[in-house]
Amino acid sequence: MFSDLSAQKEGSSVLCRPAFEDQGPVFERETLCYSLCSERYGVGERSFSRQYAHIYAARLMHMRPLLSERAQQKWGSGVLIKKLCDLETGQECCIVGTLFKRMDLQPSILREISEEHNLLPQPARAKYISDADELILEDELQRIKLEGKIDRDKCVTGSVVAIYGAEKNDGKFTVEDFCMADLPPQTPRPALGSDRFVLLASGLGLGNSHADSMLGLQLLVDMVTGQLGDTGEQSGAATISRVLLAGNLLSHSTQDKDASTKAKYLTKKTQAGSVEAIRLLDELLLQLVASVPVDVMPGQYDPTNYTLPQQPLHRCMFPLSSVYPTLQLASNPYEANIDGVRFLGSSGQNVCDIQRYSTMDSHLEILEETLRLRHLAPTAPDTLGCYPFYQKDPFILEECPHVYFSGSAPAFDSKLIKGPDGQEVLLVTIPEFSSTQTACLVNLSTLQCEPVCFSAFSADEDEESEMNVSH
Amino acid sequence: MTAKRGLITDSFKVVKKTRRGGKKEKSPTPPPSEAEAEDEAQTVREEELQKLKQFDLDWRFGPCTGISRLQRWERAKCHGVNPPDEIKDLLLQKHTDPQYSLSLWSEYPF
Repeated sequence: MFSDLSAQKEGSSVLCRPAFEDQGPVFERETLCYSLCSERYGVGERSFSRQYAHIYAARLMHMRPLLSERAQQKWGSGVLIKKLCDLETGQECCIVGTLFKRMDLQPSILREISEEHNLLPQPARAKYISDADELILEDELQRIKLEGKIDRDKCVTGSVVAIYGAEKNDGKFTVEDFCMADLPPQTPRPALGSDRFVLLASGLGLGNSHADSMLGLQLLVDMVTGQLGDTGEQSGAATISRVLLAGNLLSHSTQDKDASTKAKYLTKKTQAGSVEAIRLLDELLLQLVASVPVDVMPGQYDPTNYTLPQQPLHRCMFPLSSVYPTLQLASNPYEANIDGVRFLGSSGQNVCDIQRYSTMDSHLEILEETLRLRHLAPTAPDTLGCYPFYQKDPFILEECPHVYFSGSAPAFDSKLIKGPDGQEVLLVTIPEFSSTQTACLVNLSTLQCEPVCFSAFSADEDEESEMNVSH
Repeated sequence: MTAKRGLITDSFKVVKKTRRGGKKEKSPTPPPSEAEAEDEAQTVREEELQKLKQFDLDWRFGPCTGISRLQRWERAKCHGVNPPDEIKDLLLQKHTDPQYSLSLWSEYPF
């Protein structure tokens, strides 16, 4: 792993006398073959006049054959797969449909503006689930309430599943078992000869009022560009062949809403907080792109469109770094093929949204769940902003990634999971850099992942993590 | 709209005549001036529009609001639901006529 490569060797520390040659050894950075596969996340015509019914219809149309196949694998090829309209009371059968969770606490604009009730605005909550929630399965024509062996609090609206059971006399469907589409097919990973790394970081939080993370960020940049440590560490840094910044490069505080509410003459001379933050980001990227290819994904607080899929940040915001061909402004979700290893992930909005509407708390668990559902963002368009697609739902996973990540997580976590057909996927939650000072390195040849902490004064006094790159 | 009125007058001919006695001069004037051929074209058109309407109302192909009929047909095709080819031919032939290309509910504000 990376830590072994860059571990300080006996007698070759930075504190030793410099060698006689002025020019130290030069480490060539490994270049990889790379192709961005994010075309499906582009938004062409930007027409917002359509309803969202099309997404759900397209999702169900796409998933129905896949789930029927899974259902036959699970419950035998003779299983009766029915539509809700042909359902007969008491008959055991399988139904494919979209889940909908009716939640009392779900914020609703209609409820807020209804003057009859004269209600107070609904407070923001960490979780919007309650005991009164109901799980409903919908197909093209009908819906039915579910009960039985299905975990209501774990499911989220918009996921397409197959359920097995029977309708009872009271009109509710008693679920005995259910299945998800599970992992999509995967193209095998090529065997790589040497260790190569991709560095993932998220939530840089530039433009924040308290600049604690700046030192850590500078250390990160210096480490990647090989200006930190001795020759051992520098040669280690040369194996980092790509940097991926997964969203929330700017801090939430740059989205100051003051300017829109105050009188114009008061705010005429004040500059939006994001202007300074973008300039900072540009300078930071300049240092990086001069040495290593960088992918930049937008996140929730970044200056691009709000609805998923978020389009790449505009290059005119980066006058210094955008002249380098190594700067790749990518969309969110991001999908790319790096040396045959397929990366897929988002800046974390999809995961945070599922966290709010289910009992699942761990970002890693949610990440795995979305992979098993074969859908990147099931809660879009219900509780997550989404472009009104009609032809197909781009968030359905058609090819299984090798590395599946999400940004802006509270802590670093990773896990290697195996699919039913031998798929191998590394799940990574990339921690928010501004609060954890942690990035992570993925080894492309072994699919291992480790965190790299740049915390100068760490709260937990770890011996290794003082004032330097620790692992 | 013309298609609908035609249907109603077909089935309620007698009632209409007696009711609109005052406007007798006006309503019978257009039919005699129209030739047989035009009449036939009208029925063909009505039949075609009826087919398209049935296509709109077929739930297997998904919702029809907000998108054109051809877009809906292509979506159904790409998801393997097998929409009838006859509909596509019809839509490609008459793609300039909004009565053909747009869905049944296209005039409703959403």
